[in-house]
Amino acid sequence: MNQEVIFETQGITKYFGGLAAVDNVDMKIYKGEILGLIGPNGAGKTTFVNTITGMLRPTRGRVIFKGQDITGWPAYRVGRLGIARTFQIVKPFLGMTVRENVAVGAMFGHKGKNRTARQALEKADEVLEFVEMGHLRNHFADQLTLAYLKRLELAKALAMEPELLFLDEVMAGLNSREIEEAMEMIRKINASGVTLLIIEHVMKAIAGVTHRVFVLNFGTELAQGSPEEVLNDPRVIQAYLGEKFVERQRRMQQASPQQ
Amino acid sequence: MGSLELTQGVVNAILLSGTLALVAIGFSIVWGILNIINIAHGAFIMLGAYVTYWLFTLFGIDPFLSIPLSMVTLFIVGYVIQRYLINLVIRAPLLVTFLLTFALEIVIINLATFFWKGDLRSVTPAYSGAGFTIGAVQIPYVRLGAFVISLLLTGLLHVFLTYTKTGNAIRATGMDIDAARLQGVKIAQSYALTFALGSALAGAAGSLISISFPIDPTMGGAYTLRAFLICVLGGLGSIPGVMLGALLYAFIEVFSGIYAPGLKDAIALFVLVFVLIVRPTGIAGKAFYH
Amino acid sequence: MKKSGELQNSQQAASKKITRQKVLLGLVGVFVVLLAVLPLFASGFWMRTLTLLFLLAAMAEGWNFIGGYTGYAAFGNVAFFGIGAYGTALSMLRLHFPFFLALLVGAAAAMLFAVLVGLPVLRLKGHYFAIATVALATGVGEVADFWTDFTGGAAGLTLPFFRPIQLSNYFFYYMAFVLVLFGLGLTYFIMKRKLGYSWLAIREDEDAAKMMGINTTWSKVVAFALSALMAGLAGGIYAYWNTFVLAEEVFKIEYTLQMILATVLGGPGTVFGPFIGAFIYYILITLLVFFLPVGQLHATILGLIIILVMVFTPQGVMDFLSGRKRLTLSALLENIRTHKV
Repeated sequence: MNQEVIFETQGITKYFGGLAAVDNVDMKIYKGEILGLIGPNGAGKTTFVNTITGMLRPTRGRVIFKGQDITGWPAYRVGRLGIARTFQIVKPFLGMTVRENVAVGAMFGHKGKNRTARQALEKADEVLEFVEMGHLRNHFADQLTLAYLKRLELAKALAMEPELLFLDEVMAGLNSREIEEAMEMIRKINASGVTLLIIEHVMKAIAGVTHRVFVLNFGTELAQGSPEEVLNDPRVIQAYLGEKFVERQRRMQQASPQQ
Repeated sequence: MGSLELTQGVVNAILLSGTLALVAIGFSIVWGILNIINIAHGAFIMLGAYVTYWLFTLFGIDPFLSIPLSMVTLFIVGYVIQRYLINLVIRAPLLVTFLLTFALEIVIINLATFFWKGDLRSVTPAYSGAGFTIGAVQIPYVRLGAFVISLLLTGLLHVFLTYTKTGNAIRATGMDIDAARLQGVKIAQSYALTFALGSALAGAAGSLISISFPIDPTMGGAYTLRAFLICVLGGLGSIPGVMLGALLYAFIEVFSGIYAPGLKDAIALFVLVFVLIVRPTGIAGKAFYH
Repeated sequence: MKKSGELQNSQQAASKKITRQKVLLGLVGVFVVLLAVLPLFASGFWMRTLTLLFLLAAMAEGWNFIGGYTGYAAFGNVAFFGIGAYGTALSMLRLHFPFFLALLVGAAAAMLFAVLVGLPVLRLKGHYFAIATVALATGVGEVADFWTDFTGGAAGLTLPFFRPIQLSNYFFYYMAFVLVLFGLGLTYFIMKRKLGYSWLAIREDEDAAKMMGINTTWSKVVAFALSALMAGLAGGIYAYWNTFVLAEEVFKIEYTLQMILATVLGGPGTVFGPFIGAFIYYILITLLVFFLPVGQLHATILGLIIILVMVFTPQGVMDFLSGRKRLTLSALLENIRTHKV
């Protein structure tokens, strides 16, 4: 695994009124990895991503991408630099076709500067083939099912040709088969050279796809490490399931010892 | 400027602020709960003024006593309009509802001009010009009465919204429509009631205005703009905020009227734009039902 | 098997759509040619009526940039019309510029105002933006009325007549006509390019647009400035044509309402919508004037028409003309179905 740090946050903090939604988070993302970001609801995962991608301004802290300080940069500058993200609640351009939706990413993203609109539309076709949505290119986005909308969201981000991609709960609302397909897609994207951070609640995906996991609770780091380490960490289990559950587990294990 | 003029100006502003608050509060609840900017608000004010005028001119009913009647009339008008027209497209984009209320205003004003002609009219009860003085400061009875009634109605609204079941249902609808629906609140009804209330308050304001100022079918537009300005100044969703905004605006209006009469409206408008840019949530802070 | 069947259907639908679009385009083309030669056989009255119509269409085309494509419902664009009128008039009267130069000055003044005002005001959303623009337009109008030394105040500015007078009707007809064509061309040109796509993205989801690399502030300001360009040029032409500029007249809020209505009637966010909408608007008005003896109730009928349009077809007629929707009762009720309480 490449140990080069592509993205780094130092002491990122975000206050809303008197409440720190994100509190002093130091995170390193290594080039080429798939980093999982987990934590119970309200832990601040989406706020964290919003803050480091320019949707919100951090109250304190620094954000560094490929050695460049991008703290406080507005979202559009971050997008043009090579960072893309999807939104938890999808944000399709409903009045445009699927192809146009994706083309916008190709027009204004990382490599968009020297592209014309027509070239971007052609690039969009490529991306749509990659995510296996080519047959829907001329459908209007408001005609798609949720699963396809999520894939569209992904395609829009991919069209920006990012080096770093943040996925925010892409698996939410998907059935078992769809989750498998999404996991395959993520691996495919990673294989093409994109570093990923995925926020997820679906532990199957976290365990199956990520190289490392970072746990957030109450806005601060709770644990980080390999998926196996983190998912078996009692503190993490407690954060998700509560003390009582951990107690019960311990008593059950004492009663009938397993491996 | 002499201290007498200053004091008179301050008193005038305070007295004016009551009526302005009443003008704004009806507008504010419709905006806050239904998320509609009711361009026809001014037209409702005008209708209330004319109800009072006709009751006074035809039947000799004292203008202050006609207020309940104008309120009831406008309540019904507002309820019907909301329930059977605006509710049809209430979740449409801003442009649609904006143009809809714009068109309503055109229709109401045009009909009023057609039936009642465009001349200025006045409501002049026997006590019109009378007043009392404190020191050298004049306080006309009608302005004082308007101030008191405005405060009274505003207070009643606050009580209604806070302590009655229907009032709370309305507030809930404004805060979180889905949660309200799940709790069994009939949204269409809540919306219609809110709009009807806003219209009734506009009617009352119109009645009060008719006693102090001449009226004509086009009088409403200026008040709609003031209502908006006051809501922006004072913050949406807060009755004290609206009152504060009304007071602030009354001062701006009275004193720019003294210093720069020709530019009075322009000053108000530029203040509005300035506040919108600098602090759109108003003085009272964040609107709680947005 | 199912896939090829689906493919066939969508191919059929696509080719039907293209044929329909070609027919539509052809019809519009014929219409434009007719308008171009109309002065050869029409009376002065018709030329003047159409000139007014063209100016409305031009302003609507401009409004379409910011209100239709970008989704920011500006309600103060008459300010640009007035500034264009005054800019042109003052350049001709005080600086003795020839008309075409003065026209450019008026338009430039309008655009400059749009940029200065747009930068702060376009940060506002929805209602706040709408009212801010109304307030600004009204405020500018009042200042123009008040600032007698500069603008002639309530007495207005009087311009010289166009010479030779016999050609006056023709000159202004073609000036306005060319402006409309310019607007159509400009719209088409932009919407094929990245700028146009950025407007659509902003309208559909501004946050997503930002995240995808669009400098939304700049994009919105450009839309606003271009709407000012169209309205400013229209204002300048109007000033010289009317030979008289009065603040009360050129800053009337009714003009904003008309240009918005024309766009909405025809189809906001389409190339031909404002153009077609201007015609529909004028036809409606003419019908009112000729067939309704009760002159004083015109505004009421107009208002009722607006209400009907807002309830049933706020997307205008373009959707039906282009074949995207079929004219059924169900389609007319769709707006209510999707947007009722």
